[in-house]
Amino acid sequence: MVKRISSPCADCPSNVDLEQMGVKLGKFDRVVALAGNPNTGKSTIFNRLTGLKQHTGNWPGKTVTRAEGGYEFNGVKYKLVDLPGTYSLLSVSQDEEVARNFILFGQPDCTVVVTDATALNRNLNLALQVMEITDKVVIAVNMMDEAHRKGITLDTRSLSRDMGVPVIPVTARTGEGMQTLLVTIADVINGKIRTKPLRVEGSVEMKHAVSELSTQIEKLYPNTPNARWLAIRLLDGDERVEKAILSGEIAKLVRSQKRADIRFSKKMAVEGHQ
Amino acid sequence: MNISIYLLLWLIPLVLLMMGVWFFRSGPGSRWLAGKKINQRQLLEDALKLIFNLQQDGRPPDKFRLAVELKLDLPAVQALIARLEAQELVVAQHGILSLTTEGQRWALQVIRAHRLWERYLADEARMPLEKIHSQANLREHHMTVEEVDSLDAALGYPARDPHGDPIPTAAGVLRDLKDRTPLNEMKPGQRGRITHLEDDTPLAYAQILAEGLYVGQLISVQENNRERVVLSDDSNQFVLAQAIAENVSVHLEAPKKTADPSIIPLGNLPSQLQAEIVHIDDRCQGYTRRRFLDLGLTPGTMIYPELENPFKDPRAYRLRGTLIALRHNQASYIWVRPLSNEIQ
Amino acid sequence: MNSTLTPQAVLDRAESLRPKLSSGFRDEIVKSLYAEVERITRRSVKIGPKKKWDFDQKIDRLVTSPVLGLLIMLLILMAVFWVTIVGANVPSGLIADFLFFIEEKAADLFTNIGFPWWVTGFLWHGVFRGLAWVIAVMLPPMAIFFPIFTILEDLGYLPRVAFNLDWLFKRVGAHGKQSLTMAMGFGCNAAGVISARVIDSPRERLIAILTNNFVPCNGRFPTIIMLATVFVAAAFPPLVASFVAAGTVLGVVLVGVFFTLLVSWGLSNTILKGEASAFTLELPPYRRPNIGQILYTSLIDRTIFVLWRAVQVAAPAGAIIWILGNIFVGDLSLAQHVADFLDPLGILIGLDGVILLAYIIAIPANEIVVPTMMMVYMGVGMMTDIPDLGSLRALLVDGHGWTLLTAVNMMLFSLLHNPCATTVLTIYKETKSYKWTILGFVIPLALSFLVTFLVAAIVRLLGGG
Repeated sequence: MVKRISSPCADCPSNVDLEQMGVKLGKFDRVVALAGNPNTGKSTIFNRLTGLKQHTGNWPGKTVTRAEGGYEFNGVKYKLVDLPGTYSLLSVSQDEEVARNFILFGQPDCTVVVTDATALNRNLNLALQVMEITDKVVIAVNMMDEAHRKGITLDTRSLSRDMGVPVIPVTARTGEGMQTLLVTIADVINGKIRTKPLRVEGSVEMKHAVSELSTQIEKLYPNTPNARWLAIRLLDGDERVEKAILSGEIAKLVRSQKRADIRFSKKMAVEGHQ
Repeated sequence: MNISIYLLLWLIPLVLLMMGVWFFRSGPGSRWLAGKKINQRQLLEDALKLIFNLQQDGRPPDKFRLAVELKLDLPAVQALIARLEAQELVVAQHGILSLTTEGQRWALQVIRAHRLWERYLADEARMPLEKIHSQANLREHHMTVEEVDSLDAALGYPARDPHGDPIPTAAGVLRDLKDRTPLNEMKPGQRGRITHLEDDTPLAYAQILAEGLYVGQLISVQENNRERVVLSDDSNQFVLAQAIAENVSVHLEAPKKTADPSIIPLGNLPSQLQAEIVHIDDRCQGYTRRRFLDLGLTPGTMIYPELENPFKDPRAYRLRGTLIALRHNQASYIWVRPLSNEIQ
Repeated sequence: MNSTLTPQAVLDRAESLRPKLSSGFRDEIVKSLYAEVERITRRSVKIGPKKKWDFDQKIDRLVTSPVLGLLIMLLILMAVFWVTIVGANVPSGLIADFLFFIEEKAADLFTNIGFPWWVTGFLWHGVFRGLAWVIAVMLPPMAIFFPIFTILEDLGYLPRVAFNLDWLFKRVGAHGKQSLTMAMGFGCNAAGVISARVIDSPRERLIAILTNNFVPCNGRFPTIIMLATVFVAAAFPPLVASFVAAGTVLGVVLVGVFFTLLVSWGLSNTILKGEASAFTLELPPYRRPNIGQILYTSLIDRTIFVLWRAVQVAAPAGAIIWILGNIFVGDLSLAQHVADFLDPLGILIGLDGVILLAYIIAIPANEIVVPTMMMVYMGVGMMTDIPDLGSLRALLVDGHGWTLLTAVNMMLFSLLHNPCATTVLTIYKETKSYKWTILGFVIPLALSFLVTFLVAAIVRLLGGG
């Protein structure tokens, strides 16, 4: 159930830049995916940005199919895709498959991982998994107000340094930090911010197996951005990935990624001259 | 108005309809509908599996053994063998049957399907272990290679079935597991990990399960004499008759210095007492195990029971900043070391 | 070497590498990820002395305490139902009056313009009346129930209910969250079936979907309340009558809960025993719900959504009812003929042909059972209601031989019978399986016939009825 909201949201802090759009707005320049554990306020952020009133409740599995919405920021139109709330991307549950396949095959230009400031040592697990698949990641640490109330202090700067991707503190309920989040998403997409995601190596035997297999995948499909992740998925037994490797879909992903990048940088160049 | 006639008029079609639906959906008719071919195929596959197993055990397969094990009369067995030969799955020499390469490939395929289904039923459907064998027997047939492959992938390419038997790979390789010392050959004081529980004799198997032994359990033998074998796993003692003990195989391990009695199941952790997770039991597999890990129940994580339900089960545990409810039987798969400092 | 590398070779390599890894490859990955997370958060997250935590904990202690916790839960649930039922009465009446007023005026207009009687009748007394009835009965309770329910959900209270009741559901092989899908079912069974998504274990989710129908939705509630008031409570002095009526309704609900548990147990031990199963339940922290968003989403996402689906099936049902009531073969209307044909079966299970006819017609939407019944009983050509309980009783008891057995069995039948078309469609959409959809229809239907037959047989044996 998605509806177009015609009235701009009055309490939005960024009325000027952020034009809210319903889902049916024709062409989008960029696609942003929203991932996160259940109960992290992912939907609140989604609603903040798109103006859609989406209810996903306190439960994992509410959004079994993904919800989509859009927003415009600095003249660029973004399509925002709300993925099902999951604890992980490694299991076989339907939700996780939807999320995993979208990040890998849907090729969003940027993936925002929403985390709960009061449960970071659980939520960052998912962020690390997303960072295995894609470089273009922004971590939004939500519920800063609640963390503050509970006496938790966060050093987002050091967090960002350790994770290798931008970490933005936000409070979706009040809209605090949303503006910074939007700027950061744009910067990650257009390359102003270069991410260098932390990749976890694991045990020695795992490392060897993964690196051997990922070398082979890279040989087979040069420029694959996430060969390591594909290797892990192969070892773990992911049929979707096996099929994609057999059919050569992986190579296509790499090509389409490049085309999109060229198109976008041209667009940015033109707009920059205005 | 004669009600009884009306009733019959109503009841008879209703009953017939219900019987018909049952007959064709799940009753004998469903198999008939699917065609006799599959029935034939099932028999064929059972025979191949049987011949393979007899060969493995070193017992020469002949038509009499087949007749006994498959519960067929001799003419039927002879017809079956003729079909196997015609399809070049089996060759007979002096009445002794042996599998051709193709026959062996097929037999391994069925065994693979069987053991994968056992894994599925035990891990994902959490069916009692003594029931999975017969269920898997029903499901192992009618499967294409692709279906078996995706089952394998979905289960994460397990190496062994829940009894500890190796699962053949897609290429048809049956890994030979040498780490099997029968329990009744162990000497008192020896330690080892259980690697296999024989399920061929259902009665013995049920008794082993009832004792609470499982594949992956670390045990040490305390006593081994003509009557019985006594073993313990640090917290419990098990007494088995010799006839039962020979169904348990163990991989010998170096004796550990001291037992660690401070490690207890999470389910037994007193309320409000903080503990550190040591490991998740091998019995806990499949979806439940993955979910546990995803929730952050990893070794070294601090956990404590915060809430108890009015009926004492489930309890909610605080870990990594969130409150997760676990049922008692699940929580007993998680082993923890209680810490002395109490919360509040 | 490089030139001979094929995709298949990579997959084969993966397969040969796999056995060399320790058996717990997935364990290994997750463990190393979490170890990394620990390392990072230790550096950048500082947890101060606890303050606010205690408040959440105190509430949690309270709502999960043995006596008080269950009492609070019961009180909250009863309050929700009470507010829904009582609060819906007035708006329901107003909507009905308004829509029937339109119907009347429009029909007059059509007649005056000169349309043939059957066009007017079919369109206004058939299609429109069916729609009006469903909207009037369905809309107000849902517009009250769903927002309240969503507030409880967003507060974080509902997971605690699941936590409290899991003990009971575990016994029958189900999930504690099924209590929530059941509670949702009181609003609408289709919504209840959808809400089973919160159960992430396939087997328990199927159980919740297939048994949701045993909770009377608010399309069936009015029927049960009416029967309890007219037949059960009428035998008592006015002072206690309303308590007896409430008690009877509660009893019917409890019978529904009993059958839910019974069928859950049966399913988990028979056809569903091979389905995957697991239990996890997160108890999220209490959070202040966003009322504006709740009102919007529960109205749009749930109420309007469910109502729209019901309207789609209610209009054709209204048309069929009108046709049945207005086409005559011999002296009797089609409806009367069908009712006569169904009569023996109806009597066998302690009901009659008219009631069965009403239930068959009401497969699209259960709200129209009683009006359809009244239409046939009174021999009129459109759905009708009798607001006065006394004359209703007179019509049923004196005119058509109703007894206490008829009323009790109709309550049971209403509780247990097959789900409405909307729910069946939803079951299909949620499970994507004909097998489960058919079972979801057949199990309740068979059970309703069996139970009412047994009750009727026992009562008759004992010389009652």
